[in-house]
Amino acid sequence: MAPSFANDVPAGSGRNSPKPEPTKLWGVSEPPFEGFKPIDTEGYKRSNSSTAIIIDNGSSNVRAGWAFDNKPRITLPPLNARYRDRKLNRTFVFTGSDVYSDGTARGQAKNVYEPGSNIINNWDSMEGVLDYVFVKLGLGDAQGGIGRPVVLTEPVANLAYSRKTMSEILFECYGAPSVAYGIDSLFSYNYNNGKHGLVVSSSYTSTHLIPVVNSKPLLSHATRLNWGRFQSAEYLQKLLRLKYPSFPAKLNDPQSEDLVRDHCYVSDNYEQELSRYLDWTGLEDRNRTVQFPFTEQIIVQKTEEELAKIAERKKESGRRLQEQAAKMRLEKLIRKEQELEYYRELLDRVQNTTKKEARTLLESDDFDDEGQLEKKIKEMDKSIRKARNKDLGDEPEEEQEEPTFPLLEVPDDQLDEDGLKQKRQQRLMRSNHEARARAKAEKEREKARIAEEERLDTERREKDPETWIEERRAARHAIVAKIKERERMKAELGNRKSLVNQMRMKTIANLASDTPTKKRRRGGGDDDTFGADDADWGVYRTVATGEQDSDDEEEDLNSNLRKLEEQLLQYDPNFTEDSTREAETDWTKSLVHAFLRGPYPYDPEDQRQSHQLHLNVERIRVPEVVFQPSIAGVDQAGIVEIAAGILNERLGDSAYRTEIMKDIFLCGGNTLFQGFEERLKNELRAVMPADAVMKVRKAGDPVLDAWRGAAKWSGTQEAKQSFVTRAEFLEKGGDYLKEHSCGNAFQSY
Amino acid sequence: MAPITQASDETNHQALLDQLDLYAIRKPFRNPNWKPPQRRNKNVKQILSEASRKEASVLATQNNSGSSTPAAASTGGVATPAAAAANGSHLNPNIAQAAQHLDRLVLEKNQRAATGGNGGGPAVTYTNVESAPSLHPSSQRHYCDVTGLPAPYTDPKSRLRYHNVEVYGLLRTMAQGSSEQYLAARGAHTVLK
Repeated sequence: MAPSFANDVPAGSGRNSPKPEPTKLWGVSEPPFEGFKPIDTEGYKRSNSSTAIIIDNGSSNVRAGWAFDNKPRITLPPLNARYRDRKLNRTFVFTGSDVYSDGTARGQAKNVYEPGSNIINNWDSMEGVLDYVFVKLGLGDAQGGIGRPVVLTEPVANLAYSRKTMSEILFECYGAPSVAYGIDSLFSYNYNNGKHGLVVSSSYTSTHLIPVVNSKPLLSHATRLNWGRFQSAEYLQKLLRLKYPSFPAKLNDPQSEDLVRDHCYVSDNYEQELSRYLDWTGLEDRNRTVQFPFTEQIIVQKTEEELAKIAERKKESGRRLQEQAAKMRLEKLIRKEQELEYYRELLDRVQNTTKKEARTLLESDDFDDEGQLEKKIKEMDKSIRKARNKDLGDEPEEEQEEPTFPLLEVPDDQLDEDGLKQKRQQRLMRSNHEARARAKAEKEREKARIAEEERLDTERREKDPETWIEERRAARHAIVAKIKERERMKAELGNRKSLVNQMRMKTIANLASDTPTKKRRRGGGDDDTFGADDADWGVYRTVATGEQDSDDEEEDLNSNLRKLEEQLLQYDPNFTEDSTREAETDWTKSLVHAFLRGPYPYDPEDQRQSHQLHLNVERIRVPEVVFQPSIAGVDQAGIVEIAAGILNERLGDSAYRTEIMKDIFLCGGNTLFQGFEERLKNELRAVMPADAVMKVRKAGDPVLDAWRGAAKWSGTQEAKQSFVTRAEFLEKGGDYLKEHSCGNAFQSY
Repeated sequence: MAPITQASDETNHQALLDQLDLYAIRKPFRNPNWKPPQRRNKNVKQILSEASRKEASVLATQNNSGSSTPAAASTGGVATPAAAAANGSHLNPNIAQAAQHLDRLVLEKNQRAATGGNGGGPAVTYTNVESAPSLHPSSQRHYCDVTGLPAPYTDPKSRLRYHNVEVYGLLRTMAQGSSEQYLAARGAHTVLK
């Protein structure tokens, strides 16, 4: 921290006013259980042995139906749970969204795909999903095989092993007569009547760009970016875990996917939008508050009526008490007055009778002599007067009578035993009295000294206001620095390896050891002088941690700071309300607060607020990764760079380049973000030749068109020749593939 | 065995599970003799390394067989092997030479396969369709690790990028572990091997 406190004062910029509570709170979804789906045998009855079953084997959803359908009959997430319930002694298998119906099933669910990739990793689950598909498509009565051709989608450049295992399962387990494989995005492009173009398919686990010429994919130019909606959701989850490290609720995978889908959008101009994203104006529109379910801490809420009743009862009992007390006081007063009356009478009688009689009178009332009686009367009179005044409500300053100590002047030998006793007492009282007077005088002097100091201070201020202000500022700066230092120390104490903590451990060890090293080094020898200096006890302050530590001191610092700031506010024209520490640390000015809690105040005690997530920068930060993968640490080029590379370099001298540029085709669930199309268009425009005609279009249905395309393709002449039959499978091996316009290239290892 | 959605409660949950359970449903279309091969669940890394090992071993065998062919084969004939192949219409009695031709043929076929059937160029494999690292200057842009805003600064101690002094204050109070997690989100964390 630089010691220049002169620029400690920020220029202008007042506090922001907190925004009213958000009008719309967003929730998180329940487990996406879709209910029981009945078996649909209608399609099976309509089909014949050449009607293909179309399965879009996607990593977000598997979609299946008959070739003659116009949309898939079954959609299910590729999940399968198989477990044995020991209590019921029974095995259960749940597939697709059914796993979300039950706690155990959800816990046991296995994904078909390797997390974050488009490669099948769990073939048992795959079989479970295929079982589900065939059962629900009404094949339950088909004996010895499904007896229908299957069209299945696979990833671009699928691994030979995956295809081999899949073929094995389809031919050997399910007895499929023939199988064809194709790439989902190419089916989608085909369905949308594409001929020459660049297919940009951003789906669940990956993003692919495939140039197509004459309806044939140029697979050697195909490029994959390992980023899709799954990675986006994972990234958002990671960011939120960092943003709210002690969040009480758990954000699960389907929920974070929903958050990405519902709240994220692709920014038109990322840099520009980002830099003003947390600005105060309009933050309430950019900030989305997501409320998690929570249980309110039980505070017994009483109704207005009840509260009123309780207050009334309290007041009533108070009044009764007061009344009673007043009555008692009155009674006491009366009694006292009667007593006083009696004593007065007694005094009268004593004074008017003979000495002897008077003596008996006094003795009968336990008085030693007349003086004592007089004193008693005086005391009682005083107390009665006081009590009366109290009842009336005012308490006049007690006129203090200067006590006299007459006996002290008398030499001892002139006094009898009684007198001596009294003299001793009087001496004691006198010293007491004097001590009190001294203390009082001291106080007065201190007061005078402070007044004097203040006077001098004022004088100095009036004489040389600049230096005075400078000094005050320096003092304030020192306190602020001290507070900051304390905060830092507190933070460092949390870190076991920090220097502060190491020093502390050293001190503890030192204090605990029998032969403290420090003392010896000082050369003190045997005599332990600990405590001779008051500062020695400060050691324990450094040892103690936690709240009890220096709480009062902190109070001190804060009150001193406040005093200084008050003075500065009064006399320093450059020191305004905004430059006080309170204003400086005001949450409405805090960027981090805006990031964490939006434009709303935050009370950590409030259960409702502590179960809230605030999405702001994340809304554009997460989908941006497709354009700038380096944001999430993916060491790959973004889609614009890939597209530019394909169009400008790899196909730079292709005869079809201009044709391809006229049809940039978007499909896949990850392109559904609002603004994706426009952003891609704008960015591509910037890297394409100025005179090039460029068009970007989105698939009619970016999600379902792949399935529809496969269904449509399965009826074409080309498809008839592209099915691999069981005989061919047995002869040529599991990874055999017939190449066609929507599929992968064949290669054998 | 616990309902987690509104779809069921304690009373009808078991009935729902019975309805959803797929195990109890007959599946006659499945081959009853189907035995899945053992250890068929492999992750991408395993599959790729196995594939590349297989490829390497195939190439190695061919190279070996090519080089180990005795030189006598060519000395036996007057013409070079290529020439012999050219006029190979008539029966060549030299078996060694024929064997060499077979080797060549297999090698060539494999090379052709390796270069991919799709009109020349290198073969498309799962690994080489991946996009290359970015060369565009935009990938040099720095964003704040905490807030995501543009970050002109870097904390030399934790290597975190930050937006302004307030975020820096936050970084300083951060524990060692959490700064690593922030770095991990950007893929810049230290990985101990």
